[in-house]
Amino acid sequence: MSENTRTHQLIGRISALVLLLLAAAYGIGGSMIEYAFSSDPLGPRVVPVMLSVLLGLLALLYLKFPGSAEGFPTGQSLVRVLAVPVALIVSVALMEPLGFAAAIFLLTTVTGWIFGAPLKLSLIGGVVHAALWWFIFSFLLEVYLPTGAIFG
Amino acid sequence: MSFEYLWHGFGIALTWQNLLIGFIGCFIGTLVGALPAIGPINGIALLMPIAYSMGLPAESTMILLASVYCGAEYGGRISSILLNVPGDAGAVMTAMDGYPMAKQGRAGEALALSGIASFIGGIIGVIGLAFFAPLLSGLAIGFGPAEYFVLMVFAFATLGSMVGSQPTKTLIGCVLGLMLATVGLDATSGAYRFTFNEPELGDGIEFVTLVIGLFSISEAMLILEHQTNGVTVIRELGRMTARMSDVVKSMGATLRGSFIGFIVGVLPGTGASVSSAVSYTTEKRISDTEGTFGHGDVRGLAAPEAANNATAAGAFVPMLTLGVPGSGTTAVMMGALMLYNIQPGPMLLVERPEIVGGLVASLFVGNFILLALNLPLVNIFARVLTMPNWILVPGILVLSVIGVYSTHASIFAIYLMLAIGLAGWLLRKAGFDMAPIILGFVLGKVMEVNLRNALAISGGDISILFQSKISLVLWALAIAVAVLPALLGWRAKRRRQLAAAEASAQ
Repeated sequence: MSENTRTHQLIGRISALVLLLLAAAYGIGGSMIEYAFSSDPLGPRVVPVMLSVLLGLLALLYLKFPGSAEGFPTGQSLVRVLAVPVALIVSVALMEPLGFAAAIFLLTTVTGWIFGAPLKLSLIGGVVHAALWWFIFSFLLEVYLPTGAIFG
Repeated sequence: MSFEYLWHGFGIALTWQNLLIGFIGCFIGTLVGALPAIGPINGIALLMPIAYSMGLPAESTMILLASVYCGAEYGGRISSILLNVPGDAGAVMTAMDGYPMAKQGRAGEALALSGIASFIGGIIGVIGLAFFAPLLSGLAIGFGPAEYFVLMVFAFATLGSMVGSQPTKTLIGCVLGLMLATVGLDATSGAYRFTFNEPELGDGIEFVTLVIGLFSISEAMLILEHQTNGVTVIRELGRMTARMSDVVKSMGATLRGSFIGFIVGVLPGTGASVSSAVSYTTEKRISDTEGTFGHGDVRGLAAPEAANNATAAGAFVPMLTLGVPGSGTTAVMMGALMLYNIQPGPMLLVERPEIVGGLVASLFVGNFILLALNLPLVNIFARVLTMPNWILVPGILVLSVIGVYSTHASIFAIYLMLAIGLAGWLLRKAGFDMAPIILGFVLGKVMEVNLRNALAISGGDISILFQSKISLVLWALAIAVAVLPALLGWRAKRRRQLAAAEASAQ
């Protein structure tokens, strides 16, 4: 068995175990749903419990036959990939205090840089993105976007 | 049945003002559909108050909104094919073969071919709407909760063949989608399910949040990873017109997709997501003898494209004749009619023939406008691929954020989208496909509600699911699509074994 196949099988088995845990947690959560009244014979608990059993059985099957996987990045590649959600979290957190335009400028500048643009081009791209999307959505389509507690 | 209303409708749709409105609607609709974050419902919901406040007459407003609807069904394919980010639920299946075609350097061909399939599907759907509306609305009346539940079982049975190589993962994806659909307030009992005391989860997970998270965010991370690994992103567009041989090859798939799409569209509550899934899986069963579906087969592209455009026309049948919207988008359009104090229903054709006629005629005209608009613009749309990733991907992320924020006006929804996106990335890396999750989510909601309603009607007697002729036919079809391929596969294997045994004996 090649190293690659072994890694893929390991990924499959770990994924299957995570799904088993999810099935157990979902099933327990489903069986504990509280309700005072239901006009239908099934009630709100039965379908979640059924789904948790189904997922559990499928996860066991997956554990036995893990199949193929694409595999996960490591090292610097992983850091760069995870930088995208981090940039999103920071930008979204700043959306209400700084406003939509500033948050989008930050998001597009950072992600542009992560995607390989030189810093100067990323900054220009960030300004263009912020101005363009603000104009289209806030001005043309009249979609409400936060102006920011500081600048608004 | 008199078709006077239709001639009257053409008189209205072909005035220069309404032609202009139709043209503007088609253009905006194509753009709205192409933007992964917006989709037809949001586009129509945004335009409806603008059209009303501009003082347009009811028929012109309906022409505008119907043009946006059809345009969005065309436009939804653009981001599906070019970016693997479906513009809306109906475009999920388009990505299955459209994106591989783009990766093979055939983006232009894929766009042109899908434009032709969409046109044929749209025209067949409108013909169906004009001629068979009364007949098909009669059939739709026969669908109660039990029949809808069995229809969903049939849809899931067809899904089994969707992602062929790892069926366990496909089924797990469906179950994960079904589980996500259970989040939120249970309307029947008033119980909160899996909301973790978070008020914003009370209404459940919005479709927009789920689809953008799973496709858009995870795709952005995958693009970066491939870029980092030195994998070249294919930017070749290829020829900008469809090959005649491909048009001929996909014609059967287009016609079958159109027929399925129209029928599914007529059934209230179902929509382009169901029709494109059913048409794709049906086509895969019929045509995929060489295992080319999912790798850029033109028939896998044409079938769902024709289906989702035919569905758009079919969805008007129950709305206009019964006053029951056939999809979320037609529900918004029904709201637009009610703004003008017009009540859709059986009397609409008698009392306001200009509304129904104008709408049907404008859908005819709109499809020609869209074909004329889309084929020459394929080149421009396909140029999106030539943009560098550092411009394109941040743009996708911004649209994702706006799309979710504009739907909820909530920062929580964006974080939820992000969490779903991360989960989607992990699942994709582990070899899961996203389409079963989406379809499980869409079908799951309808399925549970109808099962519980059916059992409430029967007082818990499960035989209600097997009582009507429609249910029995659907059960038979579900069993056939689930069992037949396995039987045929077993037979083929047995024949091969016999042939091999004979050959070795000789």
